Amino acid sequence: MIRVENISKNLGEFFLTDINLEVNAIDYFMIVGPTGAGKTILLETIAGIYRPDKGKIFLNDHDITNAPPRDRNINVVYQDYMLFPHLTAAQNIGFGLRSRKISKTVTKRKINEVANLLGISHLLCRYSDTLSGGEKQRVSIARAIITEPKALLLDEPLSALDPQTKDKLRHELKKIHLLMKTTIIHVTHSLEEAFFLGDQIALLDKGKIVQVGEPKEVFRKPNSKFTADFMGVDNIFKGKSTIINGASHIDAGGITIVSTTPAYGNLFASIRPEEIFVSKQPIVSSARNSFHGNVENIIDKGVILNLLIDVGIPFIVVITRQSLDSMKLKISDSVYITFKAAAVHVF
Amino acid sequence: MMILQKLKGSGFKIITISFVLLLAAFILAQVVCVVTYTTPQVLIKSLASREIWFAIKLSLITAVISTILCIIISVPAAYALVRYDFPGKSFFNTILDMPLALPPLVAGVGLLILFGTTPFGKALAKAGLVFVYTPLGIIIAQFFVNVPFMLRILKSTFQGINPRYEYIAQGLGCTEAQAFWRVTLPMSKNGLLAGSVITWSKGIGEFGAALMVAGATRMKTEILPISLYLNMSCGELDLAIAAATILIVISFASLFIFERYSGTVHFL
Repeated sequence: MIRVENISKNLGEFFLTDINLEVNAIDYFMIVGPTGAGKTILLETIAGIYRPDKGKIFLNDHDITNAPPRDRNINVVYQDYMLFPHLTAAQNIGFGLRSRKISKTVTKRKINEVANLLGISHLLCRYSDTLSGGEKQRVSIARAIITEPKALLLDEPLSALDPQTKDKLRHELKKIHLLMKTTIIHVTHSLEEAFFLGDQIALLDKGKIVQVGEPKEVFRKPNSKFTADFMGVDNIFKGKSTIINGASHIDAGGITIVSTTPAYGNLFASIRPEEIFVSKQPIVSSARNSFHGNVENIIDKGVILNLLIDVGIPFIVVITRQSLDSMKLKISDSVYITFKAAAVHVF
Repeated sequence: MMILQKLKGSGFKIITISFVLLLAAFILAQVVCVVTYTTPQVLIKSLASREIWFAIKLSLITAVISTILCIIISVPAAYALVRYDFPGKSFFNTILDMPLALPPLVAGVGLLILFGTTPFGKALAKAGLVFVYTPLGIIIAQFFVNVPFMLRILKSTFQGINPRYEYIAQGLGCTEAQAFWRVTLPMSKNGLLAGSVITWSKGIGEFGAALMVAGATRMKTEILPISLYLNMSCGELDLAIAAATILIVISFASLFIFERYSGTVHFL
């Protein structure tokens, strides 16, 4: 468990202001925020690279605010891997055990275990410049988990990877968390990643924690304009999917959304607001998703407006001012929303 | 002229490239003049002479020792200047670069006074470390003149290494010093090699400061440049040419190695 109390740190360009967080080992904890929000400095402060200007950090109830990094047993995985180029993959992975004077035989056994877990046993003799991005990130994760750290800090670990690799590693991070039962703080700018992995998410903006909670809760009840803007980019729903006639039918808690992407089991579906039509009458079309609901809120964004429409679950829809005027839409009007099955993104 | 004909393009392009060729010809001309001044037989005979052998040996030894000194002092100093903030850092940065701007002869005079006349120098002399008119003086002169080069190359090298490598090593159980030793230093290998080669080769060629501190005594403080100077002044042209030839060979070999390993290192 990591508890951060009133941490402030000013590094000029980047800064943190009064950060309070409590991260339990059972929750995969995501910190989401735009570039420059202070995500990396928060992780590096927890890791002990920077002393906070004020505030305290606790690891499993021990005050580690002034402990040097080596005594914390907290490891960091960076977006750009940071593999030691002069060492092989095996030497990279074993680095932490060598520092702690673990015997060669034990080290060797553990290297093989972690390498197996991450599927990189065949790469152990290679140097990092011969590895692909995904392979490098696996080695760097292996290097971070081999010492069985009390906490694992992941700084945009998937951001530099191609979509397929990203998808695979995402699943493995989840697996590692379940297996190791260690505290994880994973920083990202991707909402999709946060929704997929996070049991708890915290939103960070301009060095401040804006909101903390379960992803669903943060999405449904944004407590600030920043959260609403940041989360409002996509309609994201958690659901359970069954495949009927090659299409996914996703039970999203009250309504069933159809997607052309075949997927099975628990997943997330997202629909971009601009893919959704609004109408006062049901429309006949080839689009397979059509729901009836009420306008809950109209948010003015200048040329365009966001409608919050509750059809059992809340949808954000984007329309132009012109269409709002011609439809004469008001709050609590009854409307239909329609979108194609192909517009439903599943992950 | 074949080359010029092959180059299609503006007259301006041809003119600027001609300057490259002219300059290259000028440089090569002086090298060729030295190497072909005597016959190969005479050259070999001179190279085998006792005096030239002494000069070669003394040059190699002093340059190796001064290079090692440069490494020992520059590695921590460069690291501090790159990684840490401390009061007066930019002032010290300028001071450490000063020997670059100082004429070597002036540096030599300064060293001569420091080691010859001050209580500090006298105390060292009493302890057995006599720098004035001895080979030790050559070493200290080479060190003084060349240490800024080593420092600059190493600063550039350390700057090129992301400090996050060290953060990771510290998280994995290293102290700052261990992280430096196990990660930063091995990653600086090419910069260290390039720095050592350039420092060593400049050390071999160092004349002005060495002349002032160590003097020009035949068979005592006679390094290659001093040997060239002494033999030139008393008309022993064959010996002078032999010394010059070796200096040319060493410079070229060093330049080659430096170009090969320096990579992205910048030092000027």
